[in-house]
Order: sequence, then structure tokens, then C-alpha cells
Amino acid sequence: MRKALAAVLLAVLLYAGFRPVGNLPPIGPLLDPANGAWAAAAATTFPALQSARIRGLKDSVQVVFDDRGVPHIFASSENDAWRALGYVVARDRLFQMETQTRAASGRLTEWAGKRALEADRNSRALGLAWGAEKKLAGYDRSSPGFAALQAYADGVNAWIDNMRPRDLPFEYRLLAARPIRWEPIHSLYFLSRMSLTLGLNDATMLRLRAQGLVGRAAADALFPLNSPVQEPIQPNGQKSPRYDFAELPPPGSPDSAAVAATKAGEQLLAMLGTRKHTETHDAIGSNNWAVSPSRTAGGHALLAGDPHLELTLPSVWYEMHIVVPGKLDVAGVGFPGVPGVIIGFNRNVAWTFTNTSSDVNDFYSETVDDTLAPSRYMVDGSWRPLEKRLERYADQKGGVIATDTLYFTHRGPMRKLAGRWLSMRWTVYEKSHEPDNFLRLGSTKSAQEWLDAMRDYVVPTQNGLVADRAGNIAIRSTGSYPVRPGDGRGDVVRDGAKSASDWVGMLPLRKYPFSMNPSQGYLASANQQPVDPRQNSSYMGSDWYSPWRAMRINTLLRADSSVTPDDMRLFQTDPGSARADAFVPHFLAAAARQDSAGRSDASLREAARLLGEWDRRYARDNRRAVLFEAAMQDLASRAWDELLEPSEKSVAGDNFKFPEAQILLELMQSPRSAWWDDRRTSGVEDRDAILSASLRAGYAKIVKDKGGPASDAWLWSNTRQANIRHLLRIPALSAMKIPVQGGPGTLSPSGGGGTEGPSWRMVVELGPEVRAWGVYPGGQSGAPASARYTDRLSRWAMGQLDPILFPKKPEDIERRRVISTLTLSPR
Amino acid sequence: MRAFIRIVLLSEAFAVATFGLGWWAVPIVAAAWALISSTSNAPRLAAICAAAGWATLLLLDVARGPVSAMGEKLGGVMNLPAAALYLLTLLFPASLAWSAATLIPRIPKRGT
Repeated sequence: MRKALAAVLLAVLLYAGFRPVGNLPPIGPLLDPANGAWAAAAATTFPALQSARIRGLKDSVQVVFDDRGVPHIFASSENDAWRALGYVVARDRLFQMETQTRAASGRLTEWAGKRALEADRNSRALGLAWGAEKKLAGYDRSSPGFAALQAYADGVNAWIDNMRPRDLPFEYRLLAARPIRWEPIHSLYFLSRMSLTLGLNDATMLRLRAQGLVGRAAADALFPLNSPVQEPIQPNGQKSPRYDFAELPPPGSPDSAAVAATKAGEQLLAMLGTRKHTETHDAIGSNNWAVSPSRTAGGHALLAGDPHLELTLPSVWYEMHIVVPGKLDVAGVGFPGVPGVIIGFNRNVAWTFTNTSSDVNDFYSETVDDTLAPSRYMVDGSWRPLEKRLERYADQKGGVIATDTLYFTHRGPMRKLAGRWLSMRWTVYEKSHEPDNFLRLGSTKSAQEWLDAMRDYVVPTQNGLVADRAGNIAIRSTGSYPVRPGDGRGDVVRDGAKSASDWVGMLPLRKYPFSMNPSQGYLASANQQPVDPRQNSSYMGSDWYSPWRAMRINTLLRADSSVTPDDMRLFQTDPGSARADAFVPHFLAAAARQDSAGRSDASLREAARLLGEWDRRYARDNRRAVLFEAAMQDLASRAWDELLEPSEKSVAGDNFKFPEAQILLELMQSPRSAWWDDRRTSGVEDRDAILSASLRAGYAKIVKDKGGPASDAWLWSNTRQANIRHLLRIPALSAMKIPVQGGPGTLSPSGGGGTEGPSWRMVVELGPEVRAWGVYPGGQSGAPASARYTDRLSRWAMGQLDPILFPKKPEDIERRRVISTLTLSPR
Repeated sequence: MRAFIRIVLLSEAFAVATFGLGWWAVPIVAAAWALISSTSNAPRLAAICAAAGWATLLLLDVARGPVSAMGEKLGGVMNLPAAALYLLTLLFPASLAWSAATLIPRIPKRGT
């Protein structure tokens, strides 16, 4: 009996040791204290002195890690530096690197099986991998960028080869997986993924959907080509925003011709998973601004930047400093998986980016020879062959769990949506060499050189802001902007059967939104429409983000003619809101008019009293912002009820299908517009009735959910929090419910989910010696047990920045600030 | 004294074998120990020494890095308190060693 029990026990233990059981990984290698998770914890601590040999290095490289975990890489050649960078980034972030590249190339099923099949199918159908592979095939192999990609890959693989079992990242153990060999294509996959995040800003489907419901004229007004509030990036000579308000055409008859496109668009939006982010659901946007020496306290140019992206653990950014004497001395942040500094500074220049949110993709309705299994598509009366690609999706064991046939026209991937074959052209599929662009930036010596280095940059379009030590500041919305035929609009579905529908070229550089050393003494961007259409009417996009952040930063910069680096830091988390400034008076005035007209009640009066107490700031200890947000959400659903499907009549709150809040502000100018009528009610409402109803309803909702206004549940810190999830969405490895300052439309936006926000904050002063400060939410290490996994989080949440060490040589770093020195030698 | 030395050596054997080969060396060492052992309580001793060997390795990890942080994270992932994980880390080799050593006497010895 005892032996039978032992036999069974041994069999069970061996099985559980070797094989995953349920969601649990094999427990043998996990619990093994010599090589498993416990040992991995030990491996997160770097010894004071380390050395390794790497094949391909030309000379020794010294890497000094400072007490923030930042590697300062001192190499004698650039390729040695990229090799060393690949090595150290892989050591800190290997799992993240592979996760991101798998997500882009649609190979997550190999880790997660069928659970990841839909995501993989969408990635591949979108042509991310196809585009990256095309890009690599056309990449100039003799370029410094390609050499860097290869050297970086060699460095990553050198780390994988040198890894002891204990060095295997924790997540690989959970997935019972091993790292892949890194190749240059993986870096391009990642960049494609980033382009999906930043470069797909097409309002076509949203506009068509609205057209299907309320007609073309109304849809054009709700998703307009130009922002009705003009506060452009390229200064237009105005000292305040210009309001180009017009009366919105009333909701029209549904456009049946647009219905098919609408259905296709619905499916497409769902498949892309990249709906436009509304301002209350976080903006994947960014801010940057620079101040000329004439307006700074120190007499030196200042630059600040905070790109807003999905917040993850580990962070999307990795901080680094790379020194190649006589060639490169650059610090800042880059993406794990891509060589080089993307946002940062050198001894002469500092730069940062915000997303231009331009429209760089188009849809074409294709005519095919067989609607079920096409092999050709029609162009100008002739059939052209479709490029076909058989995609296989493998599971953890390598078994094929699904296959797809993907079709490509000369424009890009084509797929069947709601019975129509739609192809998509996107600048992401065009030939480009972003790695070369980014690598060049590090060695530029002036703002002009920096601008030149970005001349042929393609995608995603970015508002590149630069300042130099000579006091120059400049911004250019850079990247390729397609020029469309006819009316030039990109927010329509074009007839793919005509070659005349194709792009006719790209906008010339001289037409890019641009400014250098403007008389106003500062430059700023926050994803708003980049140029005043009165100055440049080239089509670059539509349905632009509301300019609340731009308005706020410009207000702050106009008011301060003696800006310090610390002012710049404080601006980054400024709790003021141009959106609240715009809407609160409307709510209060409407409530007062309703009261005068005898149409008020105690609830509305109390709600108005409480809202009137608000200083319109989203500070952590604020107790009124929550009421405003509730009222705004209710207002959007009442004002835009015409855009809801019959099945959505009960949907409340903000919705990605609704226009931007700047259109709502435009609507405020027409108190009796038909849009104010809430068709879900029997009466006919006007503006004041709807504003009052929303304020009343918002108040009732908050009281119901949170109790009376004296309750701590009304505190903003208890309402909006940052939720920074681990890449595998495992709560135990995530940092949740972090109270932050800021709300919708503030410079540090925080939305309902809290999963997006400022992914890196940086301030640089370009004085005789460049000084810089920065922080991101997380830490340099991707190992959850490491002390450097979340060591920056609390300072980020408080809006603080760390001084960034910028030594010229290893000896310049104070010994007490060195945690480890790694010497890499040629093998 | 001999018994104590035997326990120490066997514990070290489990630790070294795990370090060099991996967790699956535990039942092999236990089986080998049962083969050469003349004591009747070989399975129990193997279990204690396997746990002791892994405890030694665990203590080395504690001295070198943030094992408690790993315990919290891993426990969070597996929905277990960290203490349960430590216990599991000792019970797992102990059970492997006990079961392997228990089965060994059934195997006929060479030449008999």
C-alpha cells in the first residue's frame, strides 16, 4: 500500500514538475532554488563588478550602472555601443522585448494558444508583419541603421547565450517558454506595433457611421476636417485660441449608402481594437513645449516632453546613456527592442515628440473576381493578381491551430468586412528607415541639424520639438502625409477599381507644419490640429483631438516670462483644465436660467452650488471634479443620442462614437439646435434643459455611487487612479490604483481606466552644461522581484523628476552612485 | 555523529545535484541513496535531506537577492500566500525523495 502510494505520488510530482497543470506552469523548474524563480530573484541584484565576452565586439566596452539602474555605455565605436546596449537591455527587459515583437507579428498563440488567436489574427490581417518584412527587404543593408539593428540583435543574442538558468525571466517560467533568437526584423515588428498605436488616426469609419445615422452634412460637421477651436502648433500670430464656431446642421435622414460602409467600419474598428480614445477614456496623446532663452529665468533654452502611451510594467521606455568619443554622447529613453535613444538629449541638443494624429491611411472598396476566394482585383478595367499569404498560427507545442489566407492589393492588406472587400493603404507599409532617423538624432549639434536628420522620416507622424544650446527652438510635424486625388480628403472610402483613387504623392516638406524661434518665445504641441487651416489648408487629418491641453500649456507659457526648469516640471502635472473652464460656466448659467424660469428644483440648485465651488482643478484632494465629470458624461450621451443605435439607447456616458468635446462646445452656441433634443424623451429639450438635466443626473449618480458631497469618496484621488498593468495583465505583477493629479483634458490626463498616461516626463535645460531631469512610471528592471521594477513609480505619481546623470567619462560618476560596472570584451 | 554527518552529506548531495542538473535530480539522488543505504528509514531520511538541501539553496538565494519580494509576486500569481510557497518549495523535494526512495527496495539488487 505504501509503495503504491509512493508510486502514485512520484508520478504526480514528476508530471507536475515537468508539465503545466491548468494555469500553473511546471512546478519543478519554477520552485528549483538553484535555477528557478527563487534563484531568479537573486539574479536581479547586480554584482559590483561583472564581465562578459561577446562575439563581434571590436573593443572592450564599459557599462556603468548608476543608482537609478541606468546604463552608461562607453564604447569606442557605435556598433560596439549598440551591441552592448542589446546585451544590457536584454538583461533587463528580455521578456518585454519578445512580448512586444510577438504582439506585432501575431505570434502570441505560441505562448498562449487559442486565447491569443483573435489578437494574432488581427495583427496579421492588419499587415503589421507583412509591412515590417517588406520594409526590411527594402532596407539599405549598408546603412548605419541596419548595422545598428544587426549589432543590437547580436548583443541580445549574446546575453541569451550567456544567460545562466537563473537569469531566465520570471515570465518565461510561468509560460514554460524559452526566448527566441533576436533578429533585426524583431525591431521592425516593434516599430510597426508602435505605428499602430500612434499612426492609425483615421476618422473615416466614425464619420461614415455617423453619416449612416444622421446624413452626410451632419456627419461632416460632427467629425470635421478642421478643429472649431484653433490653437495650432505652428503659431498663427494669435494671442489666444480662435473659435471658428458654426451652427451644426440638424440631424438629417439616415444615409442608406453609408450603411454598408458603416457595418464594415464597425467590424473593422472592433478588429483593430484601436478605437479613437475619447478624452474621458484617456488620450494616447502627448505634450511637449520649449521656451526660448528670452523667456527663461536662466537665459537658456528649456525643453519639456511627456509622451502619453499605455502604461505598463515594465515601462515602454528604457533609459540609457551612450558615449562613443568624438561621435556620440546621447542620453534619454528608447524602446526595449530598438537600438538608440528616441527621446533625449546630447551635449548640444534636446528633443522630444508628440503624436501628430494625422490621417495617413485610406480604405478602398475593391472589386474582386470571386467574392469568396478571390485571386484577382480590378483596376481600370483590368484584373490584377492578388498577393496571397497563408498564415499559420501555432500553439505552445508547435501544432497548427488555425490558418488564414491574407490578400494584398498594391495598396495593402485586403479583407472582407460586412460583405465588402476593403483594402487599406497606410504609410506604415511604405519604404522607410526610422531606425536611421532616430540614430542620427543623437549626433546632431544644432536644432537645424536635428531637423535635417528628420527630413525623410516617414511614420508615425510626429511633432518633433527640438532646442539647442545656442538658444534655438523649433518644431515640425514630421512624417509622410499622403496627398489624395480630387478633394484630397482621407476620411472617405474610395473606389479601388480606379487607379485615380490612389495617392498622388506625399506632401512636400515645405508644407509640413513648422516653426523656428517664433516671436512669442515658446513652442508647444499637444496633439491638436497642427496648423491653422487659414495658413495651410493641406489635408493632414480630421476629427482632431480637442485642444484643451494645448490651450492650458499655452496659457501657462504666456503667463510666465521667466520660466525655470522646476516650472516646466510643475506644468507637466498642472491640474488646471481648459475643458472645465469652457464647460462649467455653461452648466452654471443654464442652471441659473432654469431657476429664474421656475424650472429648477432643490437637486439642481444643490448640484449647481457644489459645481460653483469648484476651482476647476483636478488636484488629488479636490472634491468637485467628480461631479463635473459625471455631468459631462451624461451630457455627451444626451446631446449625441442620435448617434446611438436603437440597441444602445440605454448606453450612458462618453463613447468613442461621439464627436470630440470641442464640437459639444460648438453646439453650446446654438441653444435651440435640434441636436439638444433628447429623442429618448417625449418632450423637446433645448440646451438649458439638457445641461440642467445632465447636471442633475450627474449629481444624483455621484450621490448614489459615493454618498453625500462630504464623503471622501468624492475625493479626486479616490476617483481617478493610474492602473499600470503587467504585460501579461497579472494583477500581482501590476501596480494598481495609484492616485494621480490630473483629469480629462489636463496636461497630465488620467482617464477612467487609468491605463494610459504620461509614459515619460523629461525636462532639459540647454545651458553651458546640459542639465536634465526625467522619470517614468516603473523602473529599469523588467524583473518583478527586482527593487528596480517599480522604484520610480512613487516619484512619477507625485510629479517629481530625477536628475539625470550625464557623465563624459566613467570616472565622472560619483562612486556612491555606481551600483555595478560591467566590462564587455571581444570573444 | 556519523548519522549527523550522513545527513549533512546527503543534504549537500541533493543541493549539488539540483544545482548541477536541475530539480529532477532529486528523485535520482534519493533512489541512489535508497540503493546504497542499509537503514530502514532511508525514505524518511531522503525526504528530510532533500528538503534540507533545498532549504540550503533557498538560504543562499535569500543572501543574494530579494527572495521575499519574489515570494510575494509568485504567491500573487499563484493565488497563494508567500509562506505556502516556501513550504511547497520544501515539501516538493521531500515528497519526490520520499516516494523515489520508497520505491527502490522493490527493485531487486544486482546479483541477487
